[in-house]
Amino acid sequence: MRRVVLYESFERFWHWAQALLILTMMLTGFEVRGLGLHLFGFQRAVALHNILAVTLLVLIVFAIFWHVTTGEWRQYIPTRKFLREMIAFYVTGIFKGAPHPVRKHRMAKLNPLQRLAYFGFKVLIIPVQVTSGALYYYYPNLQHALGWPPASLWVIAVVHVLGAFGLVAFLIGHIYLTTTGHTPFSNIKAMLTGWEDLEDDAYFDET
Amino acid sequence: MPHPPRRPSPPLLRRALQTLLGILALPLALAQEPAPPPTTPGHGSYTIVHVAKSRRQTADHSKFKILKGPFKDSDGPAVTRACLTCHMKAAEQVMATSHWTWNIAKDGKDGFGKSTLLVNNYCISIIGGNTESCARCHVGYGFKDKSFDFTRQENVDCLVCHDTTGDYEKEKAGWPNPGVTLAEVAQKVGAPSNRNCGVCHFFGGGGDATKHGDLDDTILKAPRAEDVHMSRQGAGMDCIDCHASDAHKVGGPNYVIPADRREQAKFAGESVSRMSCAACHSDSPHKSYILNRHYQKVACQTCHIPTYARGKLPTNTFWDWASAGRLKNGRGYKEEDANGYEKYNSIHGEMIWARNVRPSYVWYNGSLKFTRLTDRITVPADGRVILNPAEGSYTDPNAKIWPFKFHEATQPFDPILQRFVAPYTAGPKGSGAYWGDWDWDVAIQKGMDTAGLPYSGQHSFVKTSMLWPVTHMVAPKEQALACTECHKRNGLLAQVPGFYLLGRDHGAGVDLLGFGVILLTLLGVGIHGFIRFTHGSH
Repeated sequence: MRRVVLYESFERFWHWAQALLILTMMLTGFEVRGLGLHLFGFQRAVALHNILAVTLLVLIVFAIFWHVTTGEWRQYIPTRKFLREMIAFYVTGIFKGAPHPVRKHRMAKLNPLQRLAYFGFKVLIIPVQVTSGALYYYYPNLQHALGWPPASLWVIAVVHVLGAFGLVAFLIGHIYLTTTGHTPFSNIKAMLTGWEDLEDDAYFDET
Repeated sequence: MPHPPRRPSPPLLRRALQTLLGILALPLALAQEPAPPPTTPGHGSYTIVHVAKSRRQTADHSKFKILKGPFKDSDGPAVTRACLTCHMKAAEQVMATSHWTWNIAKDGKDGFGKSTLLVNNYCISIIGGNTESCARCHVGYGFKDKSFDFTRQENVDCLVCHDTTGDYEKEKAGWPNPGVTLAEVAQKVGAPSNRNCGVCHFFGGGGDATKHGDLDDTILKAPRAEDVHMSRQGAGMDCIDCHASDAHKVGGPNYVIPADRREQAKFAGESVSRMSCAACHSDSPHKSYILNRHYQKVACQTCHIPTYARGKLPTNTFWDWASAGRLKNGRGYKEEDANGYEKYNSIHGEMIWARNVRPSYVWYNGSLKFTRLTDRITVPADGRVILNPAEGSYTDPNAKIWPFKFHEATQPFDPILQRFVAPYTAGPKGSGAYWGDWDWDVAIQKGMDTAGLPYSGQHSFVKTSMLWPVTHMVAPKEQALACTECHKRNGLLAQVPGFYLLGRDHGAGVDLLGFGVILLTLLGVGIHGFIRFTHGSH
């Protein structure tokens, strides 16, 4: 075993800030939708949701800059290599105590399923939420200028809400899968401290 | 149907700038933006303005010999002749207004007025022989029937609007009460106060507070909570501070002219109408950008007049002419309900009165489509005729959601000719008037003969509704509607169609789908975790 810094400090900050922002936006969003939450009060929930949206956008801009300049964006390139093995591992292997088919590496810290999931998160869920949210916010400014039919706000809202439900489902799966590390909490600990124990052979094998 | 004028669009640059500001203002929405400095120095500020104005007057009417009279009792025309010696064009100006003609004709439409064919569901119509009693509120002398000379200048009543003593009073056909010393009133004329407007406009429908619901004489002594504008503890404003005049033409909505209270100027020299809230408050008076944007689709009144009839007086919400005419020992009688409100009167039928009434909300672009006695009516399937439906919808850029008082009634109808009828109601026994002889057929025949309109000889009663825009009795801001009174399921706007409303509309099955996905995820994770931990690995 070898202890390495798997997650840089910016990466950790970005991850947890994003988590906090998205969680609060879920709460405020579902409150204004009228799903029985009464945490902030409607007006404050709306204002908070909008402020957090802009904050998240700023954070995303910084994150993109960081990923591009550090080259870390390559970590998210989807691959089919070991994809089948990964699926087999989660479907059967994990119950039998089979070894993880892909070993973490500083330069390849995401397994093929993670790559796929996070890639989808970045290029699908987040852009859909950002776009539908922005259209929602600016709808009063846009509707007459663009001559959209009245039903278009309904479409925008439905897309935004479905995206939000998708995010909740993503979050549930995401949190559950963190428990599949060496120990149930080792992955979360790594995301908090940055340090993770990597198997030596894995480190040397893949370099 | 005339289209209301489109709101002039702001130049592209300005719109772009506003959008940009919106983006920039986003993070500030919670942080308190600096409030604009108050434009008026505080409570009763308008009272100061009014006092200053009266000090600036250049003429003292008590010094004019011609106003010393003496005038004969009830001789209003003599006073008017005296006024006209100096204000020689005043009568001519008044005669051009609807206060005088009681008729509106515009764009080829005619007959929308009290003196002509307009029909309402309170007292129905004046032209079936009721003119004399109703003309107590006419700005003239001697209007008792069709023979009234609308061209005689001395018939114009100057005093009803310009009396400052409060002693002036009108009787049948608009003649001054003989008990009024006309010379005393004439020497103290001045600008109209709320009392002058109120003697008629507070008493529409035959009694205080009856018709409008947002206008009654409690306004004269209202606490701020009842009306922030007209209360002396509020801004202390007078009616005419908003209803500005031009050559005696008092600004206000008319029956066929769109009563659009938005930005359109009413008179030359106005950049925005004095009657639009925005004239004083601007179109972005809130700290919150999102609240300000409601201005596009929601009238200020909708949130800021949470209920009407907030004074001590109840307004009439239901008037059942069909149940009129029950007699005890051959005589009409009255009954009161637990609140002391008149729930039955033989001359009117059953009635419902209410205070603190929640308005109904309707898309409204400023145009109400009124009904005349000559209009052929197709009674809809639900049996309820709306006498003045509001025009506008979500897609109409001039329309906003407006609060209305809905006045429900039943009233006589000619089912053969399919028209509303004007019965003769106010008259003594033996005259054929309904309140004298209690016979609808006779009263309607008499009324229609007087009006010069055909009547089939048969009548039925039809349910009718009228819409009365609620715009006075603006409440203090603390009482404005909260977001969730509309942004929730089955909220106040539950019935307002044509658009998606956050918190109200959920989209069929969207939540079901969403929660289904979440549930399935939880289930999958649960099963997976269960097997993992029971199999003892990881």
